[in-house]
Amino acid sequence: MAKSLLASNRIVSSEMEKLRACVHCGLCLAACPTYAELGDENDSPRGRLYLMRAVVEGRLSPMTPAFAHHIDLCLGCRACETACPAGVRYGRLWAAARANIAVHRRSGHLTERIERLVLNRLFVSPRRLQWLFAPARVLRQSCLLDRMVRTSILPPQLKTLLMLLRATRPPRIERLRLTTGPARGRDADRKALPSSRQPVALFVSCVGRELFQHTNRATIRVLQEHGCRVIHPYEQVCCGALHAHAGEVETARKLARKNIAAFERCEGDAIITNVAGCGAMLKEYEELLADDLDDRQRARSFARRVRDISEYLMEIGFRPGPRSLKVRVTYDAPCHLHHAQQVTKAPVELIRRLPGVDFTPLAEADVCCGSAGLYNVIHPQLASDILKRKLDNVRHTGADILLTGNAGCLMVLQSAVIEAELDMQVMHLIELIALTYE
Amino acid sequence: MTDWIRELKAIVGDENVLVSPDELLVYECDALTIHKRLPRAVIFPNTTEHVSGVVKVLREHGLPFVARGAGTGLSGGAIAEAGGVIIELSRMNKILEIDWENQLAVVEPGVINIRLTQAVATRGYRFAPDPSSQMTCTIGGNIAENASGPHSLKYGVTTDHILGLEVVLPDGRIVNFDRHGGDALGYDLVGLFVGSEGMFGIATRITVRLIQLPQAVKTLMADFHTIEAASRTVSDIIAAGIIPAAIEMMDQATIRAIEESVFASGLPTDAAAMLLIELDGLPVSVDQESSRVIYLCRTNGACRVTVARSEAERERLWAARKNAFGALGRINADLMVQDAVTPRSRLPEVLPEIYRIAERYRLRMACVIHAGDGNLHPTLCFDGRDSDELQRVDAACKEIMELCVRVGGTLTGEHGIGVDKIKYMSLVFSEADLEAMNRVRTVFDPQDLCNPGKVLPVRRCKVF
Repeated sequence: MAKSLLASNRIVSSEMEKLRACVHCGLCLAACPTYAELGDENDSPRGRLYLMRAVVEGRLSPMTPAFAHHIDLCLGCRACETACPAGVRYGRLWAAARANIAVHRRSGHLTERIERLVLNRLFVSPRRLQWLFAPARVLRQSCLLDRMVRTSILPPQLKTLLMLLRATRPPRIERLRLTTGPARGRDADRKALPSSRQPVALFVSCVGRELFQHTNRATIRVLQEHGCRVIHPYEQVCCGALHAHAGEVETARKLARKNIAAFERCEGDAIITNVAGCGAMLKEYEELLADDLDDRQRARSFARRVRDISEYLMEIGFRPGPRSLKVRVTYDAPCHLHHAQQVTKAPVELIRRLPGVDFTPLAEADVCCGSAGLYNVIHPQLASDILKRKLDNVRHTGADILLTGNAGCLMVLQSAVIEAELDMQVMHLIELIALTYE
Repeated sequence: MTDWIRELKAIVGDENVLVSPDELLVYECDALTIHKRLPRAVIFPNTTEHVSGVVKVLREHGLPFVARGAGTGLSGGAIAEAGGVIIELSRMNKILEIDWENQLAVVEPGVINIRLTQAVATRGYRFAPDPSSQMTCTIGGNIAENASGPHSLKYGVTTDHILGLEVVLPDGRIVNFDRHGGDALGYDLVGLFVGSEGMFGIATRITVRLIQLPQAVKTLMADFHTIEAASRTVSDIIAAGIIPAAIEMMDQATIRAIEESVFASGLPTDAAAMLLIELDGLPVSVDQESSRVIYLCRTNGACRVTVARSEAERERLWAARKNAFGALGRINADLMVQDAVTPRSRLPEVLPEIYRIAERYRLRMACVIHAGDGNLHPTLCFDGRDSDELQRVDAACKEIMELCVRVGGTLTGEHGIGVDKIKYMSLVFSEADLEAMNRVRTVFDPQDLCNPGKVLPVRRCKVF
């Protein structure tokens, strides 16, 4: 315990120079969803950095409930990084602060013990996750789930989880009223494909493997249509983002090393991900493993290969399929794609190139929907206030389909759309793209 | 729990009062971090009645108070200098009414400046004052400091756009100051209140003028080999009778810092200085003026003059300019920004002198300048942990101020006096001047509870 406490203080101390980068101008405030809702400096990026600095300087104990509370209330959306002229790496500093809090909480509450158990015991092994999600998948298919969500006897937090599960059902394509346009010389397109089958590696992700197989299938289909041979190394594990955000940095590092080893062994330059949260984590492995020189080198080569599916398609020259889709769509940018990975243009560009698709931009598309891992389970009130604003903007677009690029956002948005009884389908951008090849 | 805290909680509710020292810490400073003072509490009112009730309780208990918005001020104006209570207005952030026919809007003080413009832009209007912090700063704060921005050159400062105020006076009474139609009935108390740095009361409901977006806008970027050439160009443009919407100057250190940031927009990092010039109005006059301006830039030796080709490019250039202050954090983490004003015609001689001062004190400096109205922001970039450097910063600031006053300028263009510039007040005001100001202040706040310790120097146990 004493050793780990020291270690975590070192984490924050080593970040001190980066904390000093904040000049306190306050331009991040309006970009922060929690500050926008609460108006308290403690719940702004500038305020949280000030609290971290106070801890490092010894003016504030990291064990005070106030510190943990305001750091926990952060969504981790990193919109402040996009707004910051001084280039403060807020995401990293925040993760370090969470790690610091996690250490001091070791003897913590029951819920926190359960969280740690789930993260450090279940989410480290794909096999154990299968056991966890197999019953969930059965439940997802049954109408019992719909009934459970409607009853009032279940505790609200469990109900939120069930609603999220319901939201992972594959999109019902037949509901979409897709009209097929004239096929535009499909055979000619086929011939244009490069004859060499370019190998690419797919990062399947835990949620992808367990709940979003349809998204992974769509990704593979689109990549194949672009002449790629898709490989998914069997040894890959969870990306570790959940662990890093919860302050379980050591577990995150272990997972990172496993993934690096798994993908080093496989051919293919690019490592493709369709989950923005995983993508952001994978691209930051170098920083995660910065302490060890050898690890760091390997992490750097690994991270350079990682691409979100949208940016990869733009890179290799996107060719949509021949089918024209007569739908009106809008797009909500996942924070971990837009702010953390700074992939801002590719998804919109892909949508604009889809034949027949009518694209209406979403107001405040770059603002967090409040999903942020299990944020809506832990902070239900604030999450629902943030989500309400998102839903109002979504409603204004009048779209038939709301597109996004991250499993977490998709679940929260789909769940909200069902609750609000909107005639709208939420889906991953890649699933819509895949439909053009049908 | 002490009486006053209980009474405050009874008015605004438990969730709207912060008293734990751990949570008060972040309220010890605004954007100028060298001045710090921990408040005793932070109160978040939601209505005018809340503000009035809170002020009455604080007055009864003799506790000083200060209103705060987003805390983006750069003069220490929103800190609890006397250790009192902060009244945080961020939750009073509603746009109450937009009157399109009469081109005005009624807002609460916590409305973020840019949100108002965003709300009216679709119908071709805007709120003219556009300080660089407009993405975050509040209209209440703009009123306290009489804020301006790049476009104040043509469109005027905050006070030119305020038509009416509902104010909670320092004794808790609610009053209305009115100058609808632009002309005040009776005394122009709106004029007196705007720029009073939070010492005459708290504005809780603000009527602002909306102005129409111009039909045509052209934004030019010109870069120069020397600061003098850039400053001469500014003087020549104004002397030619052209009033651009904005003329902004940035020096090399600033340009380079911006180009390293997320707001990089292809500014010329090899130039000694660049001008960002915006012309607006009717399409035909904008075209004529822009060819005149380009000619004047060229005759003063501009290396390149380019015109923003699209609205997106124009927005990028302005985002670059408006984030300059924060970007300077890349030079060194602690920043001391000055807000000196000099007559426009003296810019070519004053600017090089300011660089010489910084050099003499071995300090790194970057300069952004609202060149059109002679408002300079020399920013000293230092390490606050080095006490020797800190002293040199202080001495350099004093010399810069004295220089500007000597050539006929003044202490502040838009940031206000706050606590930071009190020490320079006697450079520009006589004892009689300060006494007159203090008498006005005591009319509003005889008990000296409303943001005490700001603006007026305290000497020989009396304030002025």
